[in-house]
Amino acid sequence: MKPVYLSGRGLACALGLNVTDSLASMRQGGVATSVCVLPGELGGRFPYYTIPYIRTDWNERARELVRRVAAEAGALDHRDGVLFIATSSFDIGAVEQGAPQTDHGEFSDKVAGWLEWSGPVYVISTACTSSLNALLAAHALLTTGEAEEALVLGIELDNKLTPGGFAALQLLSSTGSKPFGIDRDGLVLGETVAALRLSTQETAQWKFKGGANVIDGSQPTGASEVAVASMYQRALEACALKTDVIDLIKVQAAGSPGNDAVEAQGLRNAFDSVPPLASLKSAMGHTMGASGAAEITLLTACLEQGVWPQYVHAVDPGLGVGLAAQMPESVRHVMATILGFGGSHATVVLERA
Amino acid sequence: MKTFAITGRCIATPPPADWRERLAQMLGAKPRRIGIWAELGLYGALHCMADAGEGALPQDAQIWLGSCRGTHAATAVVLDQLRDDLPMPLAFLQTQPSQLLALLAARLSWNGSACFVAGADPQAMLRLASAQAWSDGLLLGWVEEMDGGSTNWLRLRPATVEGGDFVDAPKGELFASGLTHMRLEATGLQVRRAGQSNLGEQRAGW
Repeated sequence: MKPVYLSGRGLACALGLNVTDSLASMRQGGVATSVCVLPGELGGRFPYYTIPYIRTDWNERARELVRRVAAEAGALDHRDGVLFIATSSFDIGAVEQGAPQTDHGEFSDKVAGWLEWSGPVYVISTACTSSLNALLAAHALLTTGEAEEALVLGIELDNKLTPGGFAALQLLSSTGSKPFGIDRDGLVLGETVAALRLSTQETAQWKFKGGANVIDGSQPTGASEVAVASMYQRALEACALKTDVIDLIKVQAAGSPGNDAVEAQGLRNAFDSVPPLASLKSAMGHTMGASGAAEITLLTACLEQGVWPQYVHAVDPGLGVGLAAQMPESVRHVMATILGFGGSHATVVLERA
Repeated sequence: MKTFAITGRCIATPPPADWRERLAQMLGAKPRRIGIWAELGLYGALHCMADAGEGALPQDAQIWLGSCRGTHAATAVVLDQLRDDLPMPLAFLQTQPSQLLALLAARLSWNGSACFVAGADPQAMLRLASAQAWSDGLLLGWVEEMDGGSTNWLRLRPATVEGGDFVDAPKGELFASGLTHMRLEATGLQVRRAGQSNLGEQRAGW
């Protein structure tokens, strides 16, 4: 099997319009949330992480952000590679502005057209695990030699349907993002466009080793302890690694009272000694289908530049796990996990050269 | 290149008029609050599994589901609800195609890898699925709610077939009836039709 490298990355999120600016914001302690106002009795004002890029027209804004982020990832020189678009909300924000509701083929063509992409295009939509599943699919195509270059593009941009749905399910926080926090009260959503370029040709300091995706039908809107543990076990088996070589896990820890507890128990079941844990949710929010790509982009940049997320909230001691206050001294093997609707549990493994 | 034997199928374009009654029979009760697109998907997948003679999906099998319009109708309903209130929670969940993956996992007593591919080309989805497929094969489906509906599924198991009697398949052939095997070459899909010699087949363990 050919080794697959993480050869480029790009990011636009609440922290900034590129990786450098996002890291600078993190060094300064992060950014304040904006507000998402939703109608109805269960609606109201919810904190929300907005990309600081103002354009009225959804399509125009999305096109510019996609182009910037893909260019930052170095993808414009590889437009004959495979493009994976990972999203849970597609272009529903444009529909809310009055654009016709298109089919998925038209959405795919639109995004590919923004990039003048000439290679194959796939759209993966598995709710919040979309971009991790896109990475796993890209990895499979590259390791089997079916492709040499792939770009995973996570897109989750402003719309009312997604936060409205989360609010209807009473999953949103009204106070702020508190991963594994003792007074966590829900998720804070955010926007992002993130790109990870995978290559078998262009070596880089991070290798993408593989991972696992486990669907558990017993909890369609939440995580399951059994599936969390199974996900880690299968991912390690797929990468021929043992638990004791994992130096860091970027957890989901979205601040959900129930799901954070389930995730923590699943971690304790999977690892005799739980590795240091990190969460990026209080830096950029939960960016749903794009969160895997966005958080891997930010995490690898943080590890390279010595920047570490600061957690101002108290962690729940009852969970039996905590978040690393400082960057671990030596990080070679990293796992990045996202849990989502549809009983979806996904994690991937990166290895630093 | 991997070769698959088709061990079960449901080709329903459109589904039979009484498909909802048949689904209720298979489930033992009428499904509730999951949306028509998901019901169609369940109907086709369970029909396909029954055709394959399997009540449960092996843990290393994968589910790949695709659609061009997906939960389009459910999404339109939620957009309408959002004009002056929050959507109904179950209505919002019906907009998420991954909910069908969870329903299938529960129904097929299975915990494993599943993926929804949004697009227009089932053959392209097969290429992704094939690259990740393990020894227990695939349950691969394509479901459309609009235009009379369709729910087409294949149970694919790895196979080794000696002999060169595969033929190039035209686009759209993936869910044609009468196929016994398929494989993806760089140039496209190749298929083996019923009635062709079946000598030398054995179960492959990738």
